[in-house]
Amino acid sequence: MATTTATLTLASTDLLSDTLSMTTSATLTTAGTSTGVTQTTGLGRKTTTFDSSGVIDTVVLFRADDYSADGANKIYLKNTSTTAAEFFTVFLTGDRATDVHGNADPGLTELGRLYAGDWAFFPWNATGGTKEQFTVTFANTWAAGDTFTFDGITVVAADSTVNNIAAQVDAAQYPNWVTSVSGAVVTFVSRYSNASLEVDTSEAVSVTAGDGTGAVATTVEGTRSVSDIYIKPSVHTAMTLEHMLIHQ
Amino acid sequence: MATTATLTLTSADIAGDPVNVSKTTTCTKAGGTIDLDQSTGMNRIILRESTNKLLLGATAGGNDLSAKVYLINKATDPTQFVTVTINAQTIGKLYAGDWMFLPWSQTDTSADIEVAATSYTTAGGSIPIEYCLFHEDSIRLADA
Repeated sequence: MATTTATLTLASTDLLSDTLSMTTSATLTTAGTSTGVTQTTGLGRKTTTFDSSGVIDTVVLFRADDYSADGANKIYLKNTSTTAAEFFTVFLTGDRATDVHGNADPGLTELGRLYAGDWAFFPWNATGGTKEQFTVTFANTWAAGDTFTFDGITVVAADSTVNNIAAQVDAAQYPNWVTSVSGAVVTFVSRYSNASLEVDTSEAVSVTAGDGTGAVATTVEGTRSVSDIYIKPSVHTAMTLEHMLIHQ
Repeated sequence: MATTATLTLTSADIAGDPVNVSKTTTCTKAGGTIDLDQSTGMNRIILRESTNKLLLGATAGGNDLSAKVYLINKATDPTQFVTVTINAQTIGKLYAGDWMFLPWSQTDTSADIEVAATSYTTAGGSIPIEYCLFHEDSIRLADA
């Protein structure tokens, strides 16, 4: 068990008529326990640059799908800029269909702006969406040398047995999908939540000399992730955000 | 009017090498170097609601001005957590002793910050929380 401590000190001699001096420490634990969190992304930096101010866009910092939903995750962010007017806007991807908060970024919920030198430390529930799923069922007559191509990967059948071909397809590694196999049926699950995926036989292509088929059927419709962390710089020239995620 | 916030993040064993991050920021108004000059002061409430309750109401006058929210769950039972939301969307959960320090844009009057003692029942589970807002906007007082 690791012991990680986050301490905040707030101080001011002149904000109020009395001195403000407050220190609090939290030992970071997993959800609902006294066990210390054991995982971190480490301290990192991300520099954003765009060609011009007109093309500034959001950048994904953390994808909820990569972490435990509802875990006791904590995010540290710091804008390292020294130019007072430069800020990063920090967003959660929204869970609503339309923008209800009046800004120009429908689908995003704005948390706040980190101006030069500002830092933030906050909990993150990391609730992803639903990952798209589909199956490919291999049937009829296949032959050695027939191919199945999907997501940029081509699998060449070693023999004519559909169960063996399905096993070959499952054994391949796909950039955007993970797989499992049962008999002649391979199940593909997208690595990330996404509401815009729809796979059919024009993307999952079977080429056979005979009448072999690889029927595609969507089994789970994907939905968008609802709490990815996005950032957006205020200027197109280089700005650097320091970040660390501590998670369970 | 300088108000400083210092984060010290330490761990001897969460990674192969020790983590030791110490950062101090001076809380300033948006886009400049003028210090933030207003605060709600430190507040303490006992949260006895399992559904979201308003903690800080956004004001249109605060839209995109500088504001910092400090919030801590003062419970000692590790299972007791506070769910924190903005604009009705969950940010995360503060477990016993956890705190947060977050900039707040108040993008419009829907950008309220709400809290819930999600596991509260009448049999127990109330959670003391403390919070403070450092802000720039001057119209946080409700109309009489």
